[in-house]
Amino acid sequence: MNLKGKWRVGRIVLLLVLMLAVCLAGFGCVKGLAPIGWSGGSISDNTLFVGTREGRLVAINLADESRLWTEPLKKVGQTGLFGCSPIMGGGCGSGSAGVAIYGTPVVYGELVYIAGYNGKIYAYNTTSLALRWVYPRESNLNPFVGGIVISGDRLYIGGEDGKVYALDAATGDPVWEFQTDDKIWGTPTLYDGKLFIGSFDKKLYALDAADGSKEWEFLTEGSIIATPLVYNDVVYIGSFDRNLYAVNVSNGSLKWQFMANNWFWAEPVVVNDVIYAPCLDNYVYTIKEENGAKIDEYELGGPVSSRPVVVNDSVIVATTKGVVYSISMTTKEVSHLADFEQDVDGPLTEYEGIVYIHTPDGSLRRINAATGAILRPISLESQN
Amino acid sequence: MNPWELIIQQPVTNVLIVMSHYLGDSFGLAIIALTVIVNICMFPLTLSQIRSSKAMQDLQPKIAELQKKFGKDKQKLTQEQMKLYKESGVKPAGCFITMVIQMPVWIALYQSIMLALAVAPEGLLNLSKYLYPWPIVFSVLPLDRSFLMLDLAQPNFILAILVGASMWLQQKMSTTIPSDPRQAQQSQMMLWMMPMMFALLALSFPSGLSLYWVANSVVRVVLQYRVTGWGGLRRKPAETTADTDKKYVKFDESGEKKSVDDVGADIVISDTDPDRKDIYQPSKPSKARYQPGKDRAQRRRKK
Repeated sequence: MNLKGKWRVGRIVLLLVLMLAVCLAGFGCVKGLAPIGWSGGSISDNTLFVGTREGRLVAINLADESRLWTEPLKKVGQTGLFGCSPIMGGGCGSGSAGVAIYGTPVVYGELVYIAGYNGKIYAYNTTSLALRWVYPRESNLNPFVGGIVISGDRLYIGGEDGKVYALDAATGDPVWEFQTDDKIWGTPTLYDGKLFIGSFDKKLYALDAADGSKEWEFLTEGSIIATPLVYNDVVYIGSFDRNLYAVNVSNGSLKWQFMANNWFWAEPVVVNDVIYAPCLDNYVYTIKEENGAKIDEYELGGPVSSRPVVVNDSVIVATTKGVVYSISMTTKEVSHLADFEQDVDGPLTEYEGIVYIHTPDGSLRRINAATGAILRPISLESQN
Repeated sequence: MNPWELIIQQPVTNVLIVMSHYLGDSFGLAIIALTVIVNICMFPLTLSQIRSSKAMQDLQPKIAELQKKFGKDKQKLTQEQMKLYKESGVKPAGCFITMVIQMPVWIALYQSIMLALAVAPEGLLNLSKYLYPWPIVFSVLPLDRSFLMLDLAQPNFILAILVGASMWLQQKMSTTIPSDPRQAQQSQMMLWMMPMMFALLALSFPSGLSLYWVANSVVRVVLQYRVTGWGGLRRKPAETTADTDKKYVKFDESGEKKSVDDVGADIVISDTDPDRKDIYQPSKPSKARYQPGKDRAQRRRKK
């Protein structure tokens, strides 16, 4: 091949490489292609535990802001030719650098527990973050998006394989499993010996926490992702059919339902018999606990997918756009607290009047709920 | 929501979700059906593109001859090429413009598929802001990702092979290998590189996207077949034009006056091996060849 021919071939190769780059960049335009994670924080003994975007569990001493990280959770499964497969904790572009962690860590005794998108559940020592056990030990289950609950030395979690798992919290040995008809992304709730969990199969299940037998099921018209809230013997659960349902704990019968304009994704909170239900239609609804009548609605200019927190006489809510509001329970007024200009999808955490918000830029944002003062963020990245 | 999302992405996404519901909750069938429907809607543009492309290919031998003739004089070459295009009624930019018009539609379709597929939890959350307030849309989500034993959210090797094969088939049908060895080499490279590149991409992205690529290529193959037949699958490089072995200029013996538009229409050109002895070749090709303007002037003088 002469020089001119080589030059032409070179140009073609260059053109193809450019096209490939444009294609890859274009594919990144669709948000949500790769898992990032939205782990909330949990606090015990002045230490905050949170899952990071690097796929690690970090323990932050809130007194001196010193941090301690675990080893990154191990990626598994297909990652695609360019490492771009969004499955099983791999990621590319704007995705997570490590295994995505969605569930909030849970502290129980001397152990802290976390479940990863790689389909494994981990138990670490709270002080040293040394790994105590992992389940399953060898292989991997389907990804975990929902969080863990623990009671009576038992750990409960739902997985993308549609199974509810009960493990021995001390050893990680399986105790029982319950199969639903579709994926589970929600976190279960324990109340009076019953485990409540929603599934993509549109059902809310009430299981006997002791043996995993089904006590009743409640069918909605949409998939369920939200975490159930139990209050005064009633389960409150949001569904993709745009309804918030109130279901009797004893027999699974419908008490009332409240319809909004989009999905109820986040778990509501209840204060003084009033339910504060955040919705993806940009509103937070206040609803009477006893009959489901709407008391008020607060337009926040963005969808709310994170669980609010109650601080003194205010409900602190963050929209997915990163704007934080305070809704006063006494004056019913909404006040703007902060705009982080970052996605906020995970639950908020409150400790001693400070609200902690995990943002995708790998930092933990802090707001003083009483004064609205924004405190210096804490980096969750192990490299910083 | 920006105008692009509001006008293009949102409607396509909602239509895709509703179609999925009416096709037995099968997202795979919805992808295929929407790809076919969009192709039908764009049929006039596609037809124009195929025809322009074919006309361009048919002119390749003549362009090659012009390149040989005016290779050193770029300005003259451009003029002659433009003249040839004009005389043949071919718009070189037509093919490109049609592609540019179609591109946003394909991008929207791709984005909608990826949105509706909602591979990661963030994707499903993001999808909620694109939904119309139709009860059916809310209830049917999240969509069932399984289709013919495939998980549409995961890359699939077989589907990646199908992407490459169907794309190669479509390109092969629409491409004629030029007789110029240099151009033929480039053409061959493109014929293989593009399908290979897409097959590699398919290995890295959810197979729902691969399904869309395969469906699109199959529809294009059918359209191509209906318009031009098997095209490049049958033709051989040496058979790109009829009578290519002839190396002479065929003058019109009837003496009828040709219109200006007919100039060049009666030229039969070949760039086969000039050393061949079994065919007639003028001893001084430079004099015998058709020279625009000069020959016409001679013919006028004879009359």
